[in-house]
Amino acid sequence: MDGTEVVVASSPVDAGISCWDLQSGAEHLRHRSCASPPHGLVCVADRFFASSQLRDSSSSSSSGSIFYWSWSKPQVEVKSFPAEPIKPLAANREGTYIAGGGLSGDIYFWEVASGRLLKKWHAHYRAVTCLVFSDDESLLISGAEDGCVRVWSLFMIFDDLRREEAGHLYEHSFSEHTLRVTDIVTGYGGGNAIIVSASEDRTCKVWSLSTGRLLRNVVFPSIIDAIALDPGEHVFYAGSRDGKIYIAALNAVGSSSNSYGMHIIGSLSDHSKAVTCLAFATDGILLVSGSEDGMVRVWDTKTRNIFRIFKHAKGPVSNILVVRRPNDSNPRNSQTSSKKHGSFLSPPLDKYLNSSDENEDAKVFIGCQTTFSKSVDASYRSCHIIIDQIKELQQQGSSAATEMEMERLKIDSQKSVQMVQQWKKMYENLHQFCVNELLDADHAGVSN
Amino acid sequence: MVRNKASSKKQQKRGVDFKKIKRKIGRKLPPPNNATSTEIKSKAIILPEQSVASEKAGLAVSKKGLTLKELLQQTSHHNPKVRKDALIGIRDLFLKYPAELKLHKYAVMEKLRERISDNDRVVRETLYQLLKSVVFPGCKEDNQGPFISMMMAYIFNAMTHLAVDVRLMAFKFFDLVVQHYPPSFSLYAEKILQNYEDILQKNQFYLQDKGKLKNALAGLVRCLTLLPCNTREVVSSFEENLAGQRVLHAFEPDLPKDPAGFDLIIKKLRDLVPVLINCFHEFIPLVHATMHLDAQSFDCMLYILQSIDLAVRFFVYGTGKSQPGLCSSIHPYEGPDMTMWDQDVSPVVLKKLLVVFPLNQRHDLSEKDGDRYFILNVVITEIFLHLSEWSYPPPDLLEIFLEFIENALSGKTSSAAESGKAFREKHLLSLLPFIPKLVSRVSRNWSLRILQAFTKAFKDSNPESSVKLACLSIIEEMLVPRHGIPSLDASDPEILGHQTTWIRELPLLLIMLGDKHPSYSKVVLHLQLRLGQCALLNSAVAQEYDNMQYSLLEFYCTCLEERSMFYGPFIKLARDSQELSVCCLYYFSHLDSSLLKSIAFCCLCDDLEPFMLFRIIEVLHSAYKAGHIQIADHISFFITLLSRFRVFPEEIYTVMEGDKKMSNRGIFKSVTSVVSSCLLQMGEDSLVFQILEEVILDQMSLRPPIDNICAMLRMLLLLDSRPTRLSDQSVINLSSFLSGYLIDVASGIPEDDGKSTSSIHVNTCHYYFLPCFLLFTRSEKFLKLTLDVMGSLITENGSSPFSPNCILNATDHTNRIRAIVEILILMHKDVKIQRILSSCKSEIDHILQNMLLLQASKGMNMSIEERHNIQCAFDRLKCITSTLPSATPII
Repeated sequence: MDGTEVVVASSPVDAGISCWDLQSGAEHLRHRSCASPPHGLVCVADRFFASSQLRDSSSSSSSGSIFYWSWSKPQVEVKSFPAEPIKPLAANREGTYIAGGGLSGDIYFWEVASGRLLKKWHAHYRAVTCLVFSDDESLLISGAEDGCVRVWSLFMIFDDLRREEAGHLYEHSFSEHTLRVTDIVTGYGGGNAIIVSASEDRTCKVWSLSTGRLLRNVVFPSIIDAIALDPGEHVFYAGSRDGKIYIAALNAVGSSSNSYGMHIIGSLSDHSKAVTCLAFATDGILLVSGSEDGMVRVWDTKTRNIFRIFKHAKGPVSNILVVRRPNDSNPRNSQTSSKKHGSFLSPPLDKYLNSSDENEDAKVFIGCQTTFSKSVDASYRSCHIIIDQIKELQQQGSSAATEMEMERLKIDSQKSVQMVQQWKKMYENLHQFCVNELLDADHAGVSN
Repeated sequence: MVRNKASSKKQQKRGVDFKKIKRKIGRKLPPPNNATSTEIKSKAIILPEQSVASEKAGLAVSKKGLTLKELLQQTSHHNPKVRKDALIGIRDLFLKYPAELKLHKYAVMEKLRERISDNDRVVRETLYQLLKSVVFPGCKEDNQGPFISMMMAYIFNAMTHLAVDVRLMAFKFFDLVVQHYPPSFSLYAEKILQNYEDILQKNQFYLQDKGKLKNALAGLVRCLTLLPCNTREVVSSFEENLAGQRVLHAFEPDLPKDPAGFDLIIKKLRDLVPVLINCFHEFIPLVHATMHLDAQSFDCMLYILQSIDLAVRFFVYGTGKSQPGLCSSIHPYEGPDMTMWDQDVSPVVLKKLLVVFPLNQRHDLSEKDGDRYFILNVVITEIFLHLSEWSYPPPDLLEIFLEFIENALSGKTSSAAESGKAFREKHLLSLLPFIPKLVSRVSRNWSLRILQAFTKAFKDSNPESSVKLACLSIIEEMLVPRHGIPSLDASDPEILGHQTTWIRELPLLLIMLGDKHPSYSKVVLHLQLRLGQCALLNSAVAQEYDNMQYSLLEFYCTCLEERSMFYGPFIKLARDSQELSVCCLYYFSHLDSSLLKSIAFCCLCDDLEPFMLFRIIEVLHSAYKAGHIQIADHISFFITLLSRFRVFPEEIYTVMEGDKKMSNRGIFKSVTSVVSSCLLQMGEDSLVFQILEEVILDQMSLRPPIDNICAMLRMLLLLDSRPTRLSDQSVINLSSFLSGYLIDVASGIPEDDGKSTSSIHVNTCHYYFLPCFLLFTRSEKFLKLTLDVMGSLITENGSSPFSPNCILNATDHTNRIRAIVEILILMHKDVKIQRILSSCKSEIDHILQNMLLLQASKGMNMSIEERHNIQCAFDRLKCITSTLPSATPII
């Protein structure tokens, strides 16, 4: 695997984005000026961060803001201003799309590489509070202040005909929560997965995506603000406002014998203040939790002990991410790369739907899997990006084109070096062989 | 003996003259006169078992002492009376020994089924009763499939029996089977429907007796209700599952509905419906001829209509074709069958059935007849509405029906009598679910008229009636947009008018329902919550929703004056309803301070569960965070809570703190901590502090009990910083009554008697002193002022100026002095305070002086014990002051 695993945290007060190495505990570069709401920070394909910003409603009349940071620079690199304040953000694993939930209940769907607003639809009656992609990234699941959890199929959203036939956009609409939905996690298995939603009504509910039914309702002693699903889906962890992280069973048949309530089998507790966010490390054992007191704690879920504590800021922590930091962006060549990649990050996100060219560009192609595709981001993109890049390549003038050329030359030289080494080795082997032969012959001659 | 005599006589004769006796051949001698017949004749008497003599000790017997085997044999006896008795015997036996039935049920059924086509009416009736009351209920748990199938062949046989009575009885038997084993209908649907069709077609020959026709039709209705036509049932069974607490990843067997039989059923029903309509038509002349409608023919007509209704429903919903004009090619059943149904049955229904509508709308009918016609009309309307889901009806016909619906809703057709009204309401229930669709489809004029009538029906109906409940669900459907169904166009002012009327009715309804009908209240609250959730969709509705809070005051609590509260139904509702109503609060875009006040009083009510109290705080804080409550209102809510909460018992040094029944101090402590964590999240500490300072000082001047003061002080300190943010004026105010507070707390400490309790007391004491001590460390001036006040209190006459509520007033000087010394000693023990104390030596000296003064002036009036106590206190104080480090070196 390339890159080291890092913990990334941000807060709703302006305390920047801090990164720590999960294993060593060393702190990386701290990115500046970020005030993100819960679920408002995403790492787009491990390349850069995107975060929606909390701004005073009075100062910036009606538009919201989404900022981008690259790994190597502390300053905001790209600023975009969508039509209304955006709170939750979600990006798919490859970093092709970013989805954002607006204050009015609209969901915005952008293409990262071009910044185009591909779709915008009215999803909820009140502000959207959380957005997640399902495991196979064909479904988008949103929760809102009105207590509704809705499941959207991306196919359906771009398929006008079927949408009209069905009469509604969503696949499922779960409205059993009575208050604001605070967090949603999805399990594995794409369309057959389970999802768990937490709400201010003190419950977490487990839903089946395939049947669209409520499978389980777990009532907690306090409001749950964050949930994390165990990779084996045996239990889920629920960070509550009373400072504990409750462990609720998914597989076992519920028993109400314990002190917390039905299905709750234990708790992790050290936080003096409310737990605001949770994330699992990739090993599935370390659980990272952010708290209202500004601390980030790393728990070992096997032993239920604290493994490490980071201090983020004085204010509360609102977002925690565990991501892989790519190796190539170490500080040594960051200077050169940032200079060279002046426009490396994607363009800002569009404010409005651009209806004129929507029809011709709605198609999506699979990018060619060349050797240098890694440096040129993801493999899915809409055709007009490809067209642009082809143009650039033809003109041989643009920065991206030279960069690709560079990349190719580098690989060439690498190959040549390898070849040279191979030759060397062969030569040495041959030399050794000949010497041995000669010696043996000599030896035989002497003995004879 | 006789014989011996005779032979001896013969021998004597022969001996006399040896005369040969000549005998003629072929002739027998006549028997002698005195001969005794020696022949033995016997007849066979077959006694398989003698009932009296046989061994029956271990066997189950009926009342007449017969075993099951005997009884079963007797069921095929040629005498009907014996058969009947045998059946009654079986019944007795099974009632007595239920286990016997389980053991022998197949054997029993094998015999009993033969009696289904028995020629004797009484035997059939007895069998029917036997099956109904004993056999079927007894075999409920077992696998009934094979058991039923044993019977079915005989039932079908009976259905084609020559005797009409047997045939009709067979339908009755089948009805019984279906009642106990519903799947049997779908298994045999085709045959059954065929049989019904046959018998109904020839009804003029067979069914002159309306009673029999009625029975047959009742069975048909029951069968047809088993067809999958009820969309609502699916929903309800789904909701039952919601509470399902099962294993998540378990394998779920899904049972696809076997649709193979649908084709056949559709075909049969298509034939059956015209027959039913013909049947109905035979009653029409009767209706027109006479005004009076007798019960029998009414029942028949009703059953016929219901059957047609069910058949139509099956076609419209059961086969998955509910949208007119929507040609989805997904469904397999709308092939040729559906189109044929469309072609020949729908027009028949329209032409023959619906044209007779409305039946006898004359006004000179008696009330009973009027009601009967009303019911029939309602069912016909239902049929019409189901049909119109499917194909658009001719407009003139639609008008007639719309008018009927309007009249029915607004109660114009109903008689004035109260009983009649309730009766009609019951039947309205079936029409109500159509209203949302109807309103969205018909012309604006008509939809307004219907809405008008609906609103009237909603307002007029009894709060506890099922019509009200149904109306509520209709309102939800019309206000809250759902899948596919377009909600009402709220831009139309007249529709909006109706919507506001409904919304305004909700809080009133809640108050009217009170706590007597918890399930009804829950429905209303649920609707309210849904409304709140989607209120933003439309500004007018949101406005109405916000206005609702003023009428909700009464639901929570109203207070006319200080201390006289009228708690609304909220307090007494079940916990889930309470939670719902609290959740509704979150969705008000602006929570009015009057409502907050009313909720605060509810929170202070002793009857409210602590769980609900915490929940209310939680939800209100969420609402505050979402910007629905103003900061000043929110803070004053908290302060009200803390300052008015009644802690019992007031004695603070009780040992049993954990016991909730004895004391709610523990709850109050956790309320304090919850409120303080909320306050910390409210924003800039210094700003919140400024708001708090004034309010808390105001509240403290009212001298609440110790616990409340302590809680408020803690609040204040939480937001305070070091050095204190308190203004000079408030420091002076605060110090004057905090000294009193300290004395009150300290004077409550009982004399030391045992070590174990005293440590608890010190802990308790510490809880109350801590906020004051913190204040002292933050402001030296505050300590000085407090000590000054204490000094002056020593010499002051009269009772304590502080806390009239407190039981343990430091009324007399001795107690007061003891308390002050206790406080100083405690301060001295605290390292931080000790350091500050050293700078206040002059104040302590002042206290000592005052004590001496007191001794000098009042010493004469005191008892020796009192004087001794004061002296002790004086010495202790002296002792610690001497140990105090001098002020200068430290600072």
